Amino acid sequence: MPRDDRREAILARISEHLGDAVVGSHIRVGDDLWVRVTREAWPEAAEVAQKRLGCHFFDFLSAIDWLPSPFGRDMDSQEDIVVKGLEPKEPAPMASGYAGGDTRFQVFARVYHPVEHWGVTFKADLPDDDLSVGTWSNVYRGANWHERETHEMFGFDFVGHPNLIKLYLPIDFEGYPLRKDFPLLSRRVKPWPGIVDVEPMPGEDEPGDGDGEGEGGSE
Amino acid sequence: MGLVDSGKMPKKITTVLNMARKYSLWCYQWGLACCAIEMGVAFAGPRYDVMRLGVIPFPASPRQADLVIVSGTLTDKMAPALRRLYEQMPDPKYVISMGSCANCGGPYWDSYSVTKGVDQIIPVDVYVPGCPPRPEALLEGITLLQERILNEDPTDRWKGDPIVVG
Repeated sequence: MPRDDRREAILARISEHLGDAVVGSHIRVGDDLWVRVTREAWPEAAEVAQKRLGCHFFDFLSAIDWLPSPFGRDMDSQEDIVVKGLEPKEPAPMASGYAGGDTRFQVFARVYHPVEHWGVTFKADLPDDDLSVGTWSNVYRGANWHERETHEMFGFDFVGHPNLIKLYLPIDFEGYPLRKDFPLLSRRVKPWPGIVDVEPMPGEDEPGDGDGEGEGGSE
Repeated sequence: MGLVDSGKMPKKITTVLNMARKYSLWCYQWGLACCAIEMGVAFAGPRYDVMRLGVIPFPASPRQADLVIVSGTLTDKMAPALRRLYEQMPDPKYVISMGSCANCGGPYWDSYSVTKGVDQIIPVDVYVPGCPPRPEALLEGITLLQERILNEDPTDRWKGDPIVVG
C-alpha cells in the first residue's frame, strides 16, 4: 500500500494548527486530501489554510446532502419498471463520504496552494436543526458568491456574511432546490422516459432494442 | 393612418409597405445561452451573413426594434425582464424563438428554474428547432417570417387581433 508522504505531512501541519477540531481525514494516495473539521472550527480552518499554510487559491464552497432521494432512484426505477417489470427500488440507507460524517448536511470547500501545487478539501457536519456555520468570506473573498448560492440552494445560514440573499433564483422562490427531498415537478408530472428511444440505433431494427443504453442504468 | 385601420388600404400599397418592412427588420438579439453563439455567427459573421436578408442586428434599444430573437434558455428569474422589454418594442413586432430551450424548455424541461418555452411569456411567430439550430436554420426561420410579413394584413395587426396564418 503506497503511502503519500507529502499529503501526510500536510495533514500533520493542519492538525497541528487546528488540533482537536480535525475529526476526520482521508488521503487518496497520489491524488487528493480531505479533512473534516468541527462546525465551530470552520472559519478557523479558512484562516489556517490561507494564512498559515499558504493556500491562496479558493476553488469552491458548496454543500452535500447525503439523504437518499425519497423519490427513489428515478431513472433506474423507470428502467426496471419498463424493461423488467419490477417494482420501483427503495431508497438506499444514508451513507457518508470521504473523511466520514454523521449528519445529513455537510458544508465543504476546496482550497489550493498555487506554488506547491496541492489542494485540500475541508468538510464540516451541520446538524439538521441548525443549518448555520461561520462565513469564509472574510478570509476568502470569493466565498461570498459561493455562500450565497449554497444558501439559496440548500438553506444554510452563513453567519457574518454581508449579503446573504438569493443569487440565481427569483426572490419569491420557495424551497431549497438542491436538497434531495425537493421534488422536480416536471418529473413528477411526466417521468423521464429514459431508455425509450424513438429512433433505432444504427444496426438495430426497432426502437428500444439493445440493452437499454439510454439515460437509465448505473451498473 | 386612417386607411390602414379602416381596412381601405389598396392591396398593392399594402404589399409594397410589407416588402419595405420585411426587408428592413431591425433585430433585437435576446441571446441567453449557447444558441446566442449560433445567432452571433449568423449575425456577425460573413459566412452566414444575415444582413443580406435585410436584417440589421444592431438596434440601439428595444424601442427601435422590429424583431426579437430569443435564443437560449429562459429562466424564471429572467422572464419578467423579457416581458418588460418585449412590451417596450413598438408594433408591428415579431418574435422568433430559437432553439429547443426557447421553444419548450428543451433539455432543461425538468429544471426548477427554467421557463418551459418563451411562448409562456410572449407570443411567438416562428419557432426554430434545434439544439442549437444551425445558422442556416435560423436564416430559414427569418426567411419564413419575411414570407409571413409579406402576406400580412396590417389592418388585423392594427386592431390587435392575433395573427392567423391561413
